[in-house]
Amino acid sequence: MQWMSLFEKELLENWRNFKWIWVPLVLVLLSIMDPISTYFMPQIIESVGGLPEGAVFEMPTPTANEAIMMSIAQLSSLGVLVIVLMSMGVIANERKSGVLELLLVKPVRHVNYITAKWTALLLLVWIGLFVGMLGSWYYVNLLFGELSFVAMLQVVFFYGLWLTLVVTLSIFFNTLFKSPGLVAFMTITTIMAMSLITKIFGTYLTWSPNNLASHIHELLLIHEVTRDLAITSLITVVISLVLLIASVYTFKTKEMAN
Amino acid sequence: MALLTVRNLKKVYEKNTAVDSVSFQFEPGKCIALIGPNGAGKTTILRILAGLVKPSKGEISFAGNEKEEDIRAFIGYLPQYPVFHGWMTGKEFLVHSGQLAYLSKAEASKRAEQLLKKVGIADAKNQHIRKYSGGMKQRLGIAQAIIHRPRLLMLDEPVSSLDPIGRRDVLTLLEELKQEMTILFSTHILSDASEVSDELLLLNKGKIIEAGSIDNVRQKYQTSKMELTFTNNMKVYQEKINALSAIEDSYIERNILHVHSQDIEEARKQILALSSQHNWPLTSFSINQVTLEEMFMKAVKQ
Amino acid sequence: MDVLQEINWGIIAPFIVIQGILMIVALIDWFRTKETNGSRWLWLFVIIFLNTIGPIFYFVIGRRQR
Repeated sequence: MQWMSLFEKELLENWRNFKWIWVPLVLVLLSIMDPISTYFMPQIIESVGGLPEGAVFEMPTPTANEAIMMSIAQLSSLGVLVIVLMSMGVIANERKSGVLELLLVKPVRHVNYITAKWTALLLLVWIGLFVGMLGSWYYVNLLFGELSFVAMLQVVFFYGLWLTLVVTLSIFFNTLFKSPGLVAFMTITTIMAMSLITKIFGTYLTWSPNNLASHIHELLLIHEVTRDLAITSLITVVISLVLLIASVYTFKTKEMAN
Repeated sequence: MALLTVRNLKKVYEKNTAVDSVSFQFEPGKCIALIGPNGAGKTTILRILAGLVKPSKGEISFAGNEKEEDIRAFIGYLPQYPVFHGWMTGKEFLVHSGQLAYLSKAEASKRAEQLLKKVGIADAKNQHIRKYSGGMKQRLGIAQAIIHRPRLLMLDEPVSSLDPIGRRDVLTLLEELKQEMTILFSTHILSDASEVSDELLLLNKGKIIEAGSIDNVRQKYQTSKMELTFTNNMKVYQEKINALSAIEDSYIERNILHVHSQDIEEARKQILALSSQHNWPLTSFSINQVTLEEMFMKAVKQ
Repeated sequence: MDVLQEINWGIIAPFIVIQGILMIVALIDWFRTKETNGSRWLWLFVIIFLNTIGPIFYFVIGRRQR
């Protein structure tokens, strides 16, 4: 099957270039960094000479929920950056180097090419996210208090939707531009613009995908999927699908081999 | 019935016209050479046929494709500078290529093994392509182009980047493949074209300036010239030959007597009769076969 | 204080292990590739001496796809 062959090729490539090793590991590092450093903060401060005489350092120990949200915050900044940089060349590089030419002269359906790339990237990112949150969950339970496994899975599921949008944006810009650097720049700029708009018009944009993380926090607090979270998730999925279809369309209509 | 028919194909880039109203067609089973200097539009034509470039104007119809299927399924294409995934092995790449053309995995794998042998890189099949030499990549490129048994194989300058041995091997391979499929290949080296192809398409500045079978084209550009050599005293014979009725004029250059005539057949008869009659020390006699080179130069000038 | 320090190591060990794996994998890849974006020897330096981010930088921008 053509799609399977394209998909397998992606998996093999990501194995040979070690993405299957380093992407999950980096996401684990990012996820456990903040919970650990927060836990050791008092000691760290002491070891660098302590606080000046008379200064009072008020640092409440975060709750388990707050601790795992620290991991999400870290993934939302550096994690997204890593994912964007890791995916900036998935199509752009193939165009730039010319390998795409040998593929496009075969009767390859454009939709197969794009969705195989997309699925392979998502698999990598979702597994990375899962492993990362598993690490975070372990440390949160060890250092801050109980957080159920199911709660962690919920976080993975809903936050994965946000990362899905990030990946799809990157795929979309990959079909538009030949330069991986430009792809990364445009993806990051778009995410930042979305975040800015969400902040400015916050009251009207409760369901902006950028608010997924805060809705996830609510979920952790009240142990219930709120209407806001459900709608935001739906909107995120819809935007991703629209972007995916747009990617297939641009890939089909643009002359890719030049 | 023609395998491929191209009508009024045109490709205009911002300022220049790469392909200018080109029309041609060819029968199945032929080997056609697309000849022309660099920049004549050969690559553009091939890339349009391969579906990589959209034509500005024109029609392309492929026999047996009445159902409007993806024409790429019938075509195998090797670009002038094929680029591969260096991290894949030769065999992996071929199997992948086969599957992209809707072969089953088992079928693609079987076919890959056959082709690796056929093109002579079976020993390196499990090596990463990044370690392949230029010649090996070219062979792999040919293998990927024919893995799905296309009816038309298109090759863009398949031998121009190879050393003499690699060139010989690839030409031999093409000779073999001719039995199985129609081949359209571009080249700027005329001797390669005359060696393997049946038909020629001479291209210059985006236009076809001559087309037809090699023999026909040759006849058209046949020079009315004979070349004679003698053991000695060429001048004496030149005078006698000039006196013959069918001879127009002649000149001596590098110990060869060049004789022009409008009626080569008659001129040949007269000269040979004269020479046997008087027992001339004739060492060679040839009616000049025009080379592709000369033909091309003439066609371009017209 | 002694007790605390022992716990510390248990917590930090996974961190160090992950860093180690990242560095080793980056080194393996570095040995295999002939070309990197920018000086190959500079990247060796980055991988070894820039803790954690060195190998990540290498994978993200140093490695040449192909």
